[in-house]
Amino acid sequence: MTAAVLDIVGCGVLSPAGSGLDPLAAALAAPEGSAASGPDAPDGPGGEPFPPLEVRPVADFRPQERLGRKGLSRLTRSDQLVMAACGEALAGLARTAGPLDEEARGRTGIVVGTGTGSVRRLAEFTRDTFVQERPYMVNPSHFPGTLMNSPAGQSAIRYGLTGVNSTLSGGPVAGLSALRFARNALLGGHADRLLAGGVEELSAQSAWAWYRTGALGPGVAVGEGSAVFVLERAGARPHGPAPLGHLLACELRSTDPAEGAAAVGRRLAECVGDALRGAGVAAEDVAVVVPGAAGRRGWSAVEERALRRVFGDGGPPRLAAQSVLGETHSAGAALHLAALLACWRDGTAPGGTGLVTAVGPDGQVGCLVVRRAADAAEPGA
Amino acid sequence: MSEPLPRRVVVTGLGAVSSLGIGAEAVAQALRAGRSGIGPIEQFDSAGFERTLAGEVRGFRPEEHLRRIDPRRWGRSAQFAAAAARLAVADSAMDPERLAGSRAGSSFGTTNGESAVLGRLAEQWVEDGLAALDPAAVAQADAGRIAAAANAELGLTGEAQTLGTACAASNYAIGYGYDQVRSGAADIMLCGGADASNRATHAGFHRLGALAEDVPRPFDAHRDGIVTAEGGVALLLEPLEAARERGARIYAEVLGYGMTCDARHMTNPDAASIAECVRRAHRNAGVKPHEVDYVCAHGTGTPANDRTEVAALREVFGDRLPPVSSIKSMLGHTMGAAAGFGALVSCVAIRSGFLPPSATVREVDPELGADLDCVPVTARTERPRVVQNHGFAFGGNNAITVFGEVSP
Repeated sequence: MTAAVLDIVGCGVLSPAGSGLDPLAAALAAPEGSAASGPDAPDGPGGEPFPPLEVRPVADFRPQERLGRKGLSRLTRSDQLVMAACGEALAGLARTAGPLDEEARGRTGIVVGTGTGSVRRLAEFTRDTFVQERPYMVNPSHFPGTLMNSPAGQSAIRYGLTGVNSTLSGGPVAGLSALRFARNALLGGHADRLLAGGVEELSAQSAWAWYRTGALGPGVAVGEGSAVFVLERAGARPHGPAPLGHLLACELRSTDPAEGAAAVGRRLAECVGDALRGAGVAAEDVAVVVPGAAGRRGWSAVEERALRRVFGDGGPPRLAAQSVLGETHSAGAALHLAALLACWRDGTAPGGTGLVTAVGPDGQVGCLVVRRAADAAEPGA
Repeated sequence: MSEPLPRRVVVTGLGAVSSLGIGAEAVAQALRAGRSGIGPIEQFDSAGFERTLAGEVRGFRPEEHLRRIDPRRWGRSAQFAAAAARLAVADSAMDPERLAGSRAGSSFGTTNGESAVLGRLAEQWVEDGLAALDPAAVAQADAGRIAAAANAELGLTGEAQTLGTACAASNYAIGYGYDQVRSGAADIMLCGGADASNRATHAGFHRLGALAEDVPRPFDAHRDGIVTAEGGVALLLEPLEAARERGARIYAEVLGYGMTCDARHMTNPDAASIAECVRRAHRNAGVKPHEVDYVCAHGTGTPANDRTEVAALREVFGDRLPPVSSIKSMLGHTMGAAAGFGALVSCVAIRSGFLPPSATVREVDPELGADLDCVPVTARTERPRVVQNHGFAFGGNNAITVFGEVSP
């Protein structure tokens, strides 16, 4: 199994708690004090009012300071969030191992999980086709940003990363979709290093979509953010930086959603069982579970029942990061992994092996198994 | 599974929903005959556009092709993917029950996701405000539902990966599915792509001046752009050994694939990066340039694409360029499904022995080189043994798949 293990050698995280793992760990340790979100939504589009929901924008984002003013207005908020997260991850890597040279950049790429890309950009672009004098009088420089692969493509340009570059869509599972794609590309030798994760941007359009569907659990905020993890094949750099963790497995399954929520839950339980077996980890050795659907009406209970099916009643403690992040949809799985790594580093979550789960209303389910780096030397892998 | 890994992977089923007909055979015959699927736009109100043609799937009745999922619960792109997947399974003659009980999943590519659904939501915003968004439409909006629909339709329990790498996405999906079967992570994968005709995409290309006046004319001296199009396409991938055991008809073997990212410009293609993608695909597939008998081009018909693509090929092939043709001359640009249609025709070409034409070319662009064989106007009877299939995209996403005849 060790041949299929990936090292997480760095990360970049932007969340409602702020930038990086430390503020996220602090906020998770004291969620009551972390409701820093005001009523003002970020970057409010054209005076569009938000629905009466609590929102949690990325704290202290300030894209001009991070990314410079040049060309910023062409970039969607998703572009900016991924760019900033990749920048943070690469800067961390450079501090410990020096900057990537051209050859290394050719073997390094970006893999991003999303839902539909930048909801706001696509909505505004389409609106222009209705309200402009002619339907094609859209802003041409805004066209690339309507595509889902814009954050990955723009970030590759900014950092000169010509290795495998991909974008996956999978709703709440999307972060796992991206990590699994990256895992395959690394193990198949298509790349040596991938920055993989997810993104979700807050907008009036998406907040109204949440409001209209009534899909949020009671009191759950709409959040946003991006997290990317620098993945390499295990032991690829014996003298490199100490990893944050080891990705032991990342599995996805699906069920026809018309079979009902219970069938989706059973599939999740099966998926977790397969992932643990593949990772060589017994259920009783899982120290902590980060549930993906804790912020979703109905699905929260479905996910919990699936976890009980695997772990029995009780089971390992749950780290529900939604109390800090809100519901972050396609960034969720990636941000939840970040939350786990943050708590591990802070010593506020039990070490050992963690499980991150995700459930989508379209019948997609997934999970990943991750081991804290300090525990990695223990035998049994 | 006791057979050694990695396994050889073959294509044994093809499915398609397109402007040229439903089903792989209809599409392949039309491409061989050089027919055009381009006509007036019906999927959205084209009033006010100066370009009003598209390659749309006319008269598509999803309920005729979908046995399990309720089309009212899924967007048009998801319907295309699910219908193409269902058709590919029928084409493979695999027992659907056996399939559903297998370790099987899907991977589908898309450029614009559920663009028809998103277009309706944008219209609701414009007409009645955000408070009027239809929750049922919101529930269908995520692009990830495209592969999920294929799984739901076929009762597959494995993964459902939706690749959002724009107009190269089907090749990413096929490459990914190939790796899953090859490595033993899955025993069967349905791979392809889907996109729906929509207002935003048409407007975007229109504004860039990238839309052709009538039909796309890849490799023509006076080519003036693409024609937007839609459709769904699926390939059924399984191990060679399993295909032989069940006596399946084998179209072709998936030999490998390669991916690069330009990381230079969001919309302009980059010859050096495409050439590197070709080299990576060759290396992964274990083929040498002189072994490639045909290139199914990205061939959009814009001046920049065709120039860049041929330049990239010359970087790798030198002056021994294999025949290079573009099926977009007939289908238009089906976006995220485009490379999947290329894969489909590559497989049929290997099995049936023909090269599809660049059907609309009138005067081959001399600037592309006098030796460029773009299979002008009519198909050629010739059996390629190794075919490389191109997919390039906005965002600098390049992916190339390589197919070959099955050697004993």
